[in-house]
Amino acid sequence: MKWFDRITHSIHILMPLAIIMAFLWAPPADILGESSRILYFHVPLAWVAVFAFAVSGVLSILYLSSKNETKRDTFDAYAHHSAVLGLLFTLMAVITGSIWARISWGSFWNWDPRETSIVIVLLIYLAYLSLRAVIPEPNRKGRIGAAYLIIAMSVVPFFVFLVPRIYESLHPDTIINAERTVHLAPQMRATLIVSVCAFTALYGRLLFLQGRVSSLAQRIEEIYDE
Amino acid sequence: MASEIVRNLRKDIHVEARSRTALNLTLSFSVTVTLAISLASAGARMSPGTLSILLWIVLFFSAMNGLSHIFVREEERRTETFLRLYSSYEAIYLSKLLFNVAFMCIIETAILPLFIFFLQIDVIHSAHFIAAAAAGGLAISSAATILAAMVARAGGRGSLFTVISFPVMMPVIWVAINATTISLDPKAHPSWNPCFFLLAFSGFIVAMSFLLFRFVWLDE
Repeated sequence: MKWFDRITHSIHILMPLAIIMAFLWAPPADILGESSRILYFHVPLAWVAVFAFAVSGVLSILYLSSKNETKRDTFDAYAHHSAVLGLLFTLMAVITGSIWARISWGSFWNWDPRETSIVIVLLIYLAYLSLRAVIPEPNRKGRIGAAYLIIAMSVVPFFVFLVPRIYESLHPDTIINAERTVHLAPQMRATLIVSVCAFTALYGRLLFLQGRVSSLAQRIEEIYDE
Repeated sequence: MASEIVRNLRKDIHVEARSRTALNLTLSFSVTVTLAISLASAGARMSPGTLSILLWIVLFFSAMNGLSHIFVREEERRTETFLRLYSSYEAIYLSKLLFNVAFMCIIETAILPLFIFFLQIDVIHSAHFIAAAAAGGLAISSAATILAAMVARAGGRGSLFTVISFPVMMPVIWVAINATTISLDPKAHPSWNPCFFLLAFSGFIVAMSFLLFRFVWLDE
């Protein structure tokens, strides 16, 4: 895991760079003005949330298919941590989105298809935490939690990718749109890319630290048992 | 495996026929809620959208009352170990799925005429209305079967089934509400696409559940 640790250290360069570019380098958007700078935080947070949920689903598949006991425990722990981090990033995406909605559309919440979708995704992963919390036996907790995460991973694309494209939305055109073009000025596009990389590195760093904390907690428990 | 499935299904039908707990409870709940809506609306004419939302809320919560019993009952009566020894996990999953599909059919057969009668609904495109209800019911029972198994293995705590089912079934309810609204609206041009989506969702979730059931059901 040393390579993962090293890669995630890029957060120390990427995050300050993203903040400087977002506030000082990127120009304000034509109609939205200075408030458009929230784009460099809201979009990456939403992207990282979806990425974290996908990672938790993939790790759950690895957990269920692995025969090695040590590896299984690691996959289970990281799948759980990734789902928790995804939930945290989703919550932050909702908060930044609500602030932006208040400025752009006049109210914090508008039941826009994308807003509704993100709330349902939040509910799915909150339900996962409730499910895991009621199972006392660790092995069963891992297996049932992993099965639920795989089902959740297969339902999430419906809300994230399908619903906003089927129903009329107040949201601006998506980055990956029907014309396959990015409707952003080059400076704004570069800032957004750096910001997405910075938040992905932040997610990686937090995942790594959470993994270390849980393995240390397990070691302490083992020492107490001895 | 077909004989195993039939044997398990027959056993579940016998157990349900003897006690009728799930069926009585679910039907009583759905009839009470339908009558409550009718009384509260006091004969007021509602829009197709509102009627569809109310119909699918009644169907969803009725399903939540009944569909988890199939697995929770095995855990409560401590028959799950015997079932695991007696039958393969594939046969258990498929028989429980068939039972839940049949159970949902019974609920819908009871609820839909009552709903149409008490809320004075004019079904404009009846074929689309029936297809949306059938495809929606199939999708709900398909998703509910694996989730019911998870809840049963988690200790079968009451409200947990609704908590974990609602967000996962949201695509089904969303699409079914739209399909039903269109079938009740005289100005709308109905399409079969929502029904195809619901059937595809059912197929997908059954395939996923079939692969995952082993990990939920067996203590390996």
